[in-house]
Amino acid sequence: MTARDVTVPASKPPETPEVDEARTARPGRGLPFWANPRLGLVVVTAALVAIFGSLRPAFFNERLTIVPLLADVSVFLIVGLAQLCVLSLGHMNLAVGRMAAISAFVTGWAYTSLSVPLYVGMVIGLLAGAAVGGLAGLIIARTGVNSFVVTLALDFALLGLVTLLYNSVTGGVSFAVRPDGMDQLRNDTFGDYCAGDWCGPSAIPLVAPLGLIAALVVGYVFRYTRLGRELLMTGSSERAAQYSGIPTGGRVVAAHAMSGTLAALAGFLLAVNNGAFSANIGEGFLLPSFLAPVLGGTLLAGGAVSVLGTILGATLTQVIYKGLNLLGFVLDELKIYLGVVLILALSLDRLRVVLAERRGVRP
Amino acid sequence: MSTVLPPADPTGAPPALRGETARRFYRTSEFSLAVISVVGFCVLAVATDFNLLSGGTLGAFFRFLAVPIVIGLAQMVVLGVGQMNLSVGALTGYCAMTAASLMVEHQVPAVLAVAVAVGLGAFVGAVNGVLVVVTRINGFIVTLATMTILEGLRYGVAGSGTLQGYSPGLQRLGGASLLGVPVIFLAALGVAGLVAFYFRRTVSGRSLLASGGNPFAARLSGISNDRSLVVAHTLSGLLVGVASVLVVAGSGSVNTSIGDDLLLPSFAAPIIGGVALTGGAVSVVGTVLAAFIIRMVDVTQAQFDIDRRWVDLVVGVVVLGAVLIGRVREAVAARMRGGAS
Repeated sequence: MTARDVTVPASKPPETPEVDEARTARPGRGLPFWANPRLGLVVVTAALVAIFGSLRPAFFNERLTIVPLLADVSVFLIVGLAQLCVLSLGHMNLAVGRMAAISAFVTGWAYTSLSVPLYVGMVIGLLAGAAVGGLAGLIIARTGVNSFVVTLALDFALLGLVTLLYNSVTGGVSFAVRPDGMDQLRNDTFGDYCAGDWCGPSAIPLVAPLGLIAALVVGYVFRYTRLGRELLMTGSSERAAQYSGIPTGGRVVAAHAMSGTLAALAGFLLAVNNGAFSANIGEGFLLPSFLAPVLGGTLLAGGAVSVLGTILGATLTQVIYKGLNLLGFVLDELKIYLGVVLILALSLDRLRVVLAERRGVRP
Repeated sequence: MSTVLPPADPTGAPPALRGETARRFYRTSEFSLAVISVVGFCVLAVATDFNLLSGGTLGAFFRFLAVPIVIGLAQMVVLGVGQMNLSVGALTGYCAMTAASLMVEHQVPAVLAVAVAVGLGAFVGAVNGVLVVVTRINGFIVTLATMTILEGLRYGVAGSGTLQGYSPGLQRLGGASLLGVPVIFLAALGVAGLVAFYFRRTVSGRSLLASGGNPFAARLSGISNDRSLVVAHTLSGLLVGVASVLVVAGSGSVNTSIGDDLLLPSFAAPIIGGVALTGGAVSVVGTVLAAFIIRMVDVTQAQFDIDRRWVDLVVGVVVLGAVLIGRVREAVAARMRGGAS
């Protein structure tokens, strides 16, 4: 896989000396290779895998650890991508978890009332997510109110709505229905599917390719499509984008609709992993949604995204979760380490940039 | 009243005649909030057959208003410099658990435990501020990280257990009333008064707003933006520490879940109260009134036995409505000014 490190190219002549490049570009462009945050993530992840593996051999157990780990990585990769879509604009989506919850409700409702097949229900859920995200985008674009406030309020509103809907439709907090194929998607790995003598790798769950496909699609959109480039332009400088003839309002709606769609996909996969469409889907999405892209080098300020970094960030986070879990830490204790890792990673990132700049300026 | 630095005044008008000032007061969001509060309270009182005005209910109404006010102010202080503090909820829980644990498990006197809680809050706030300044990482991410860490630490104080049976004196103070008004509510109002004084009358408070309104201009005027950031985060942590003391005093027991439901209201109160997220402007009165309105929604739910979840839905819609109305009012005001000139 190629590095999907996507930035709006700064308009400068090609003969610009490397020194200036190092001072103006963001990390990863024009900086020495060791200043690339993605490389750091790979090293840290590999080191942690080695440590956890030597402390607890069960860490390499396929059924116990690897398969659930990859399934979780897929879910939280998509959650991170949902946040990345709006971060490209310099916006935030605090309702990412609740968008997943409301979409999961719609999907569950479609299975119960319309008895649709598994993937039709998924598409209905994605459409619901796109609609809710688009609504958030529309409010932000029309009123110019900060995305933080709008999505925070939306999160509040959806939090109430989801529970009320589950109460009135199911009388409880989850749908009992399980459409055909859901159990296979949940339990099977590629090892269960054989073509003649050759079977797929039994370490990879069926849900993993969905995460990879989502990452490829988002990477493609931001790197090669007009929409993606215009999103990054808008995030870089809204006014400049407007003067270049980009309908920034429409792009804001598009980014939030994409975010809602991806949140819905993450909610669907989590529901499949859990085995039920329930009201608590998406409750823990907020922190990981920022962790993965931010660790991967995506800026909060907008204008630059890194899909590969998001994949690595999501992997690192889930490796920490699974590893410390195997070592017998309680979920709440895990949080201390996750927070410390986040601060350390970002501080080191900052340190790397400062060092690299200094080296670039005074060779 | 809203505290805005003169240059940030959107109308750009010079401080004018008294009539003009009065007319401008009617247009402030504080005035609308005050009207909504009074009308809402009267309607609620009538709708509950004046049950709301009976001693016990009214006392409870104000007792549970104290913590949201102080938490809203804690968020407002950092919003004033254009930052956010996501760790308010987790920090409240951590300070409350620490104070309770000191009293229950280590027999520390209540006064000392209260001081430790407030000091701990200020210390964590200062750490937030220093991290923001030293690493230059976005304050949102820093406090997101410290929130996560604090959630873990909060759990570490007493596991999943409940701490109770601490200092009867403190609990008596928490349950006490002065002329029918709960003492902890008066304490919250006192804190609000101090915060208002700080932003209105002290050099430190003014330079904090200057940094929030326009960091570049502030630096040229000789104000250290870094210091403003650290001061704002420390003050926010200090207020959270005070809120945690109110939590401990106001309830007979504390457990790990304390503070989980405080993060969203902490933003709701200042935002409904008209505080801008971009910094440079704060409104103590607006924040207090907004907390009052949110509390009214809460009480309505309890009085009419409505599903708890309706409150979240309504508060969400109210926040959205408040920002939308603010925009509409700005647009109308702009059009009126345009027509007059």
